[in-house]
Order: sequence, then structure tokens, then C-alpha cells
Amino acid sequence: MQIETEASGEDTVLKVSGRLDTLNAKPFEGQLLEAVKASNGAIVVDMAGVDYVSSSGLRALLVAGKAMSPHKRKLRLKSLQPQIQEVFDISGFSALFDIH
Amino acid sequence: MLIAAQLLAGLGLLFVGLKLMGAHLQQVMGRRVRRLLRMATGSRPAGVLCGMVAGAITQSSNAVTLICANLVRGGVFATRDAIPVVAGANVGTSALVFIASVNLKVAVLYLVALVGLAFHLRMDKRTGWREWMGVLLGLALLFLGLDFIKSAPAGLDLSQAAHVVGELLTPTRGFFLGCLLALITQSASTPTILAVAVVQAQVLGLGDGMFLVVGANLGSGLATLISAGDMRGAGRQLCVSAIQVKAMGCLIVGGAALAVMAAGLNLDVMLGRIGSGRDPAFALSVVFFALQASGALVVVTLIGLSEAIAVRFSPATREDKLSRPHFIHDRAVSDPPTALDLVARETARLVVCLPTILPDLDQRAHDEPKARLAAWQGAEAIAAATDRFLTELIDQRLTREDLDLALRAQAQVDLLRALQETLHEFGAVVDAFHPLPPLVFNLSESLRAVLLVLADAVPEEAGEGDLEVLNALTGDRSDLLDRIRRDLAASCATGGSEVRTLMRATSLFERALWLVRRLSLALRPRANEDNSPEGWSVPAAAQNGRVEAVEDRG
Repeated sequence: MQIETEASGEDTVLKVSGRLDTLNAKPFEGQLLEAVKASNGAIVVDMAGVDYVSSSGLRALLVAGKAMSPHKRKLRLKSLQPQIQEVFDISGFSALFDIH
Repeated sequence: MLIAAQLLAGLGLLFVGLKLMGAHLQQVMGRRVRRLLRMATGSRPAGVLCGMVAGAITQSSNAVTLICANLVRGGVFATRDAIPVVAGANVGTSALVFIASVNLKVAVLYLVALVGLAFHLRMDKRTGWREWMGVLLGLALLFLGLDFIKSAPAGLDLSQAAHVVGELLTPTRGFFLGCLLALITQSASTPTILAVAVVQAQVLGLGDGMFLVVGANLGSGLATLISAGDMRGAGRQLCVSAIQVKAMGCLIVGGAALAVMAAGLNLDVMLGRIGSGRDPAFALSVVFFALQASGALVVVTLIGLSEAIAVRFSPATREDKLSRPHFIHDRAVSDPPTALDLVARETARLVVCLPTILPDLDQRAHDEPKARLAAWQGAEAIAAATDRFLTELIDQRLTREDLDLALRAQAQVDLLRALQETLHEFGAVVDAFHPLPPLVFNLSESLRAVLLVLADAVPEEAGEGDLEVLNALTGDRSDLLDRIRRDLAASCATGGSEVRTLMRATSLFERALWLVRRLSLALRPRANEDNSPEGWSVPAAAQNGRVEAVEDRG
């Protein structure tokens, strides 16, 4: 899994590629939380390069989302591949995040 | 020739009678015995007493040991509580041996007549009577068989036969013969009753009969271990305890007999004195009783040592450890507020353990179906124990508030059990696929993610945010699942049976999700109860069984 972080105005964009599995979930969660601390804007996770998401990957996103919610900030997800979108729909996680 | 036929017929009747009586007794009294055994955890004397009654009722220490072993495995009571029951059961089986040593010839004939008449009048068709008539018929056949064996050699000069048997049957041979007979008949009382009959027929001396009975005693202990089959861990520990009771009895009584012989005293004469004025075979019944009582006394007195030996020979398995409640215990029932707190903790722990029942498809190399099965069985056993604990608690005089809390807790446990069962079924469906279709992966990992959120949302750690998240995650998605099912039905690429299994996976997923939602609502602190989520239609598959009852109660 690879993560590239870039700033877009006030927002932070994390470009993720590879697998969001048990092995990568913790480092991914760590980077997300770091980004949440470092910026005051929205966090956008570009998932165009993600071809696999497991329950651990979903949970990592949820942890970051929960860390942002007290500050009324949003975690946005974009460019989900169709099979990844299906995981989000089936698990109900689509209802928790802004997905574009 | 006639004598041999009469002897064989007697043996046949004896075996049929014992089998018939045991089977019908267990049928008619099985449930009551189980209920009785559940009460046996109060103290050691209570355990021994319950065991004695159960042993006398079932006439099988084997059966009582195996029932107890299953109750221990099911978490109803601990090995230490069950040891006195097993010891008492052995003493209880002496009842039949005592009855067999009494001459009841006329009474037996009346009993046969009575049972025969009852069968002729079709009284066995009446509910509740059939089993008791089976018990009486078994008893009648048993005594008839004994009478055949006793009276077969009548009129013959048995002194020669007795001399030959006396020459052949050394104490050691008698011991091993008894052991063998017990292993074959799976019972200590059958060879003992047989020995009683042969002693009464004056073919066997009392001393030889005694060593046969001692051997039969040890043999039946080994038979218990064989009956336990593939039982392991805590269940098998009781079988080891049963052998301890038998072995201690053999050491004490057999040792005493050997000491008498070593002192140059005549064992036959000494035993004859026990039954002075009675049938000499009565002494064998006393020996049988002494074997059971002395073994039971030692094992119950040294219960700590007995348990340590049992654990050493059959250590607790992973399943045993998983099926042991962490918080609730019998004595807590007497303090309802504490008991309710313990139930809440136990329930929360079970909720946290839910993901372990599901396959871990993300790390399939580390996913062990056996470990999952053990996790499910353990969790199921704890949930069942918690349910029983709550029933016991509700049966007490509770304050209105405590009663309300207990009923709510029971509803939570009911939902939890339904969810455990559904997750186990879902796991079995997932395991059936090789290779795994993407849809099954998505369903399974989605469910796992929801369960992880549920685990985070158990009351003690939960914030309102966790419950809101859970609410959103378990929202109605019947449209999505219906679309998936339609696509599946339209698809011809996959085989018919695979489509059916995929459909089943979606139904189980939907049911699990609905149960998670119900459970998360049931686990909410009471103040939040009004925030019930909207827009949820209950899936048809979920509207059955216990869950419906929970709904009604809620």
C-alpha cells in the first residue's frame, strides 16, 4: 500500500493505492490521524488506486471519521472502484462518509 | 443339557431385564435426574446425596457420570462440584445389588403376572404408564433370570463343580474375570448380581465371589472411560474421578481382604459372618456397597487432590476455556444487584467476541474453521449459562427495578444467542465456497466490520456517537440486497446450487444485520430508548423463533 499526501487549499488529500487489509490498516489509520491533527480542513481520501478493502480497512476509515466528527469536519472519499463501492454499500459505510 | 439351557436362559433374562429396566428408567427419569443434578452444587453432602438418588434411580453410575460430564461441559457446574455427585452415584447403584441378594421368588412371580396382565389390558398405551411398565417388566425379567440361574443346578451334587471352580479361581483370576465381565457388560452391578446368583447356587465360594466383585468394580470404572469416547477436557475429568472412586474402593476393600488372608484367617468364614442369619450372598452385596462407599468417602474427603489428578490426566481443552463464564457464578444469584452487574459484563464480553465466530477472509491463511467452531461453541455455552443464571435470578424475589433489569438482560441474551447462531450459519455458508465469490467476501467482511463497531459500542466504553454510527450501519438495505438477489437469479453463469447458497448468504447477512440493530438497541442505556431508529423493515427470515419472543417482551 502506498499513500501520498498533498495539500489542496485548506484540505488535505491522501492518495491511497494498493490493498487496505489487516496488514496495512494500522499504518493507514496512523497516517489518517496524523493528517487530521495537522490540518483544519477536510480530509479527502482518493481511493482510485485501492483495489481491495477488508473490515480492518473500513475500521481505519471509521476511526479517522470519529476523530474528525467532534470538530464538525468531514472525511471525504473519492474515486472508489466499483467493487470497493459495493463493499461500502453492503457494509453501510457509504452512509457514514461523503463519497464522490 | 436342560441345566445348561436353564442357566443360559437365566443369563439371557438377566441381561434383557437389566437393559430394559435401565433404558426405561432413564427415559422416565432422565429429565428429573438432570433437574436433580442441577441442584447438586450447594455443598459436598448435597452433591453426594443427589448422586446417590440419581444412581439408585438410573442404576448406572456410568450414565450419571456422563450426564454430569455433559453438564460440566455445558458450564452448568464445575468439575469440583460434580465429583461428589459421581461418588454418590456409585453408592446409589448398590440398591439393586441389595435387592438381588434378597429371595423374592414369590413376589417376582406376582410381578410378572401383574406386568403381563397390564400389557394384556393395553395399559402400556397410556401416556406415562408405558415407561413404568417397562421398568417393572425389566425388574421382573431380571429376578426371573436370577431365579433360573440359582435353581438350574438344583438336585445336582455341586461339590465337585465347586471344588473345580475353587481350584481354578485364584483371587487374581477372580479379579481379572470380574474386570472383564464389567468391561463387557459396561456395569459393575451386573457381574456382582451374577456372582450373587452363583454364590447362592453354591458353585462359587464367598471369597472368590468377593474378588470377582472387586475386579468388576474397577472394570466398570474403565468402562466409563471407554463410554466417554472422544470426550476431552473437563468432561473427561469426571470419568477420571469415577475411576478414582472405583480404584480407591478396590484398594481399601481388596486390601482388607488380602490382609485377612495374609493373617491366616479364612475369608469365606469372615464374609459368612457378615450375612449371619441371611442368605450368604448378602455378604457380596455388603462388599459391593463397601467398595462404593469407601471409594466415595476418600475421593470426596480429598476432593482437591481428586480434582488435581483428574485435571492432570485430562487438562482443560481450548473449548473448555472458551466455554467458561468469566463473570457470573452460582453464588452471585443471592445478591441481585451484583448479579445483574456481572450479567452485563458477561454479555458485553460475548458481544466483543462476536467477530471471532466469523471467518477472517482477509487473513485466510490464519483462519481455522476448528478454532471458529470452538469459539462459537464456547460463546454459545456461556450465553446459555447466562440465560440460566438470569432465569434463576428472576425466580427469586426481586425488586421491581431489578426484575425489570433482569428481563431486559434476558432479552439481550436471547438476541445475542440468535446472532451467534446466525453468524455460525453464515460462516458455514462461507466455508462452502472454493474459490470465494467476490459477493461472499463483501458480505462477510462487511458483517465483520459492523460487528467490530458493535464491539466498540458496548455500553461501558460507548459514547452516543458509537451508537449513532451503529444505527447508520445497520440501516435498511433491503433494496440493495433485493437487487443483488435479482442479479443472482438472472445470472446463468453460476450453477443453480451455487446461486441458492449465495441467496442464503444474503438472507443470513440481512438477518445478522437486523439482529445487530436489535441488540444495539437493547444494549442502549434506558434513557436513550426513545431514540429508536426509523425506516427499518424487518426481514422475513428474521421474524421467527426466540427473536419474536424478545420483541414481544421488549
